[in-house]
Amino acid sequence: MTEVDALLQNIDYAAAVILFCIGLYVVVAKGNLIKKLLGLNIMETAVFAFIVTSGMVDGGHAPIVTEAATPPFASPLPHALVLTGIVVAVSITALALALIVEVYRRYGTIEADELRETD
Amino acid sequence: MTPWLPLVVMAPLVGGALAPVIAIAGARLLRAWSLAVVAVTGLAALRLTLEVAATGPFSYPLGGFKRPIGIELRFDEFSAAILFMTLIGGLALTYAGRYAIRGLPAGGQPWFQALMLINLGGMAGFAVTGDLFNLFVFMEVVSVSSYALVALGDPRMAPLAAFRYLLAGAASSVLILFSIGILYALTGSLNMADVASRLDVEADGMPAILALAGLLTGFLLKAALFPLHTWLPDAHASAPSPVSAVLSALVVKLGILGLLRSWQIFAGAGWAPLGELLAWGGAVSIVAGAGFALFQQDLKRLLAYSTVSNIGYIVMGLGIASQQAVMGASLHVLNHALIKSTLFLAAGALIHQTGCRTLYELRGAGRAMPATSLALTVGVISVVGLPPTAGFPGKWYIALGALDAGRPVFAVVAAAGGLLAFAYYMRVLNALYFWPPTHERVLGVREAPVSMLVPVLLLALCCLAAGVFARLPMAFLEPAVSRLVGM
Amino acid sequence: MEVLDLRPMLAPAISFACAGLVFLLGASDFWRRLWTLGAAVLKFGVILSMLPGSLQGQVYVYRLVDFPAGVGLGFRVDGLGMFFALVSSTLWVLTTIYAIGYMQGRHARVRFFGFFALCVSTTVGIAFAENLLTLFVFYEILTLATYPLVVHDETPEALKAGRKYLLYTLAGGVLVLLGCIFTQGTAGTLTLSQTGILPAEADPRMLAAAFVVFVVGFGVKAAIMPLHGWLPTAMVAPTPVSALLHAVAVVKAGVFGLLRVIYNVFGVDLLRDLGYAYWLAWIAAFTIIAASVMALLQDNLKGRLAYSTISQLSYIVLAAALLTPLAALAAVLHIAHQAFAKVTMFFAAGAIQRSTGKTHVHELAGLGRQMPWTMGAFTVAALSFIGLPLFAGFVTKWYLSLGALQAGAWWFLLVMVASSLLNAAYWLPVLFLAWFRPSVEAPVPVREASLLLLVPTLASAAYVILLGVSARVPGMPFSLAQAVVRFVTGLPEIS
Repeated sequence: MTEVDALLQNIDYAAAVILFCIGLYVVVAKGNLIKKLLGLNIMETAVFAFIVTSGMVDGGHAPIVTEAATPPFASPLPHALVLTGIVVAVSITALALALIVEVYRRYGTIEADELRETD
Repeated sequence: MTPWLPLVVMAPLVGGALAPVIAIAGARLLRAWSLAVVAVTGLAALRLTLEVAATGPFSYPLGGFKRPIGIELRFDEFSAAILFMTLIGGLALTYAGRYAIRGLPAGGQPWFQALMLINLGGMAGFAVTGDLFNLFVFMEVVSVSSYALVALGDPRMAPLAAFRYLLAGAASSVLILFSIGILYALTGSLNMADVASRLDVEADGMPAILALAGLLTGFLLKAALFPLHTWLPDAHASAPSPVSAVLSALVVKLGILGLLRSWQIFAGAGWAPLGELLAWGGAVSIVAGAGFALFQQDLKRLLAYSTVSNIGYIVMGLGIASQQAVMGASLHVLNHALIKSTLFLAAGALIHQTGCRTLYELRGAGRAMPATSLALTVGVISVVGLPPTAGFPGKWYIALGALDAGRPVFAVVAAAGGLLAFAYYMRVLNALYFWPPTHERVLGVREAPVSMLVPVLLLALCCLAAGVFARLPMAFLEPAVSRLVGM
Repeated sequence: MEVLDLRPMLAPAISFACAGLVFLLGASDFWRRLWTLGAAVLKFGVILSMLPGSLQGQVYVYRLVDFPAGVGLGFRVDGLGMFFALVSSTLWVLTTIYAIGYMQGRHARVRFFGFFALCVSTTVGIAFAENLLTLFVFYEILTLATYPLVVHDETPEALKAGRKYLLYTLAGGVLVLLGCIFTQGTAGTLTLSQTGILPAEADPRMLAAAFVVFVVGFGVKAAIMPLHGWLPTAMVAPTPVSALLHAVAVVKAGVFGLLRVIYNVFGVDLLRDLGYAYWLAWIAAFTIIAASVMALLQDNLKGRLAYSTISQLSYIVLAAALLTPLAALAAVLHIAHQAFAKVTMFFAAGAIQRSTGKTHVHELAGLGRQMPWTMGAFTVAALSFIGLPLFAGFVTKWYLSLGALQAGAWWFLLVMVASSLLNAAYWLPVLFLAWFRPSVEAPVPVREASLLLLVPTLASAAYVILLGVSARVPGMPFSLAQAVVRFVTGLPEIS
């Protein structure tokens, strides 16, 4: 019982880990460069989700100082972190897409196994 | 408080962002601008280094906010690596002036300069941050600019190599970010000192171990320790040569620096098997990297595999964890940076002038380009580890440290690694000087232009000086190493 | 007493500078010869100027670079180093003259003479090394500097021999480095200024490991069987190189390293307690006999010389491993005796090859009449190796036998008798062929090699006789060797 309880209490963490593993699987197992990039994005999303939920406080309010606001507040720091993380992730994605375009122009394919043959 | 500390980080970042604008005013001004930015950064780093030598490490809270709220910059002995970064970065930029004409895509110069400066700023930031999340951010600044820089290289291979590099690099970053998230969830802090003091592996159990393992794997992937090295040879071989020099000399070291920075977290967690794991991982990497290098025909790929082998030395030294071994590893971080940049820039000059990349085609180039080849030879002797050159002190103290810790097997590996390095670098020297040339054309090429030759020769001189005056960095690093080992 | 002096550094620096000059400005024959010869004579003078002080027990010291933890690079001229340096610098003068004659009209002379000078520079560096690390550095540079000489002809055969040479010697070098690491880790110092730096109470496994890696590491260049494989292969090199490799620089560097390990790193007393030297003595004895048998089977003259070298080098190793004062005397003396005799032989063989094109023993019939002076010098060296009194080789064998008796190991006398017989068996037929058999071709008039080849040959042959006849005259190498032995054994008087 206790294990199930523990899992249910941390369902957000478990979901993040599962999502992360899915992303990792896609990066490793899929041959298409775009799919690899998608996998990478799934991994990143999993991590962001994980960090954001870690700032969650039961019954907490948004940490914005207004007249009506009363403690407890949710921790604002993770949100700031994730915002930075998303910026990084977007720039990586943009760069990766540009590279894929260049690879396609050069080799005419974006399948990893076909690219290996052209090496 | 001292304003020099933020300057070290901000100058190259802002300078890099402005570079494409300045490029409008002309290529000559752009080059002067980037060199000036690097020089300012270097002077600031020198000023900080002298201060740390006199008074020990010091912190600077950004915006005046004290920890745990504010962002803390911290300059300690390891941060002095910024000096090496600016030296090598500046020389690589000087070198790139002529190299760019044939070695970079048309119109790539402004972007190249901007990316190099941003890369430098990211590395400087990585070296001075005292906070786990900023560690991640600066690591990403370095990584993203590195991917883009690789993509500027040889158009036949560079885009694919850059993409592979990106995939491996981004995966390791995500892993590190995940670990940082877990550590934050467990301890409620991002400051490394606080995390170290609050983390308790016994009580936190599985998540803590998972976080440490993730952090370790992430950093070792960045450092390209065998078997996590697969992205490195392609990326370093197909990048433009000045970029290869910066990547192989400095960027891979960030993984090591990350390990050193998070060392207090690992040590605080009392995770005993870690040292053993690192020492053996390093030993395997020494042999495996050298083993791959033995069979490379492409000169730059050979150098890239040699980096894998040398990273093995550093990681092995850290894993042995005795005073002398860690001292040797720290020395080798700096000295290998000098050696590998000498080698890559010299190799780049050979390739640039002859248009040939493989050892087979380069035969006889030693006669046509004596000065460049001399610098390459100095680099080879250094990387093999013959005293009194730069490669010797690090390897020597790692081996002595292994004996100190009662692990002579690692001393044997260190010595054997030297032999293997001899074996594969002898192929380079053979090709340059002894084998009869395969292309008559190679004999007719001219020596590299002065603006490429001077940085190469200066770095070769540094390789000799770093060996002869090894006392200086050792005395400087002593307190930092004692602190690490004492944890 | 130790004296700070520039000369220990100057000696290797002269040949180093000479190498630089030859590489940069050596295209003209005249200047190249002038520099090479001038440096050889100058360096000989510098080393000779330290001899009187060295004989009175003065030790000249010069430190180059210091690392923390007691390691560094530096020079220190003690008796043993002085002895080795004198032998090599004397022979460098002779070999330089010979090489100028021999290399006339050959390709890549700039490279040849440049690396030639570099080799001798590093040899003196090895001799004057103040600590094991310095010795190791020069030992490795010697390997690298001789490689271009071995592959000089650039034929596939030469390049193959070069690879084999590098493989053996670099592997040996790594073991030496490992020995240095073990020694530094155990003793905390690498200095060669004392007799025995390794503490007797150290971990016996560490001592055993250090001894094994040192013996194997230096044994490669000293060509102890079964580590000798590179030496006969390296015979493809031009003859002055063979003379340099087999008499002066490379093999002696290995033997010299072994002497340093036995006398300075372990020390006679510790080694006697440990009992390792006994095994080394047997390996050396085996090498002496086995290499002699191999020499008997060689028809190629240089091949026979190579195996004879392997056998003779192990005399030194055997003598050192016996650990008695008189045997030590023999070990030190034989460095000079073997060097001069062997160089004479190589010079003669090279002269014969240059003037007649003959390279095999069976072709030598009647050569005594055609090249009487060259064959005369060859005969002197051969008789010295056989061990006839009045020749240098006899002095070694005499003290080696006395040393073996001192050690109570009379069975090594049998080894020596057997070796003398074998030496006779492979040298006497050569002499017989050359002097008493008529030439198979039509009789040819006297046609000696050029003076540049002949004079060094005769000079070193004359020295072989001088060493044999007047060994105990004061001022001869003998007195220096005695000083060395007094130091390493700590005895006030020997013999």
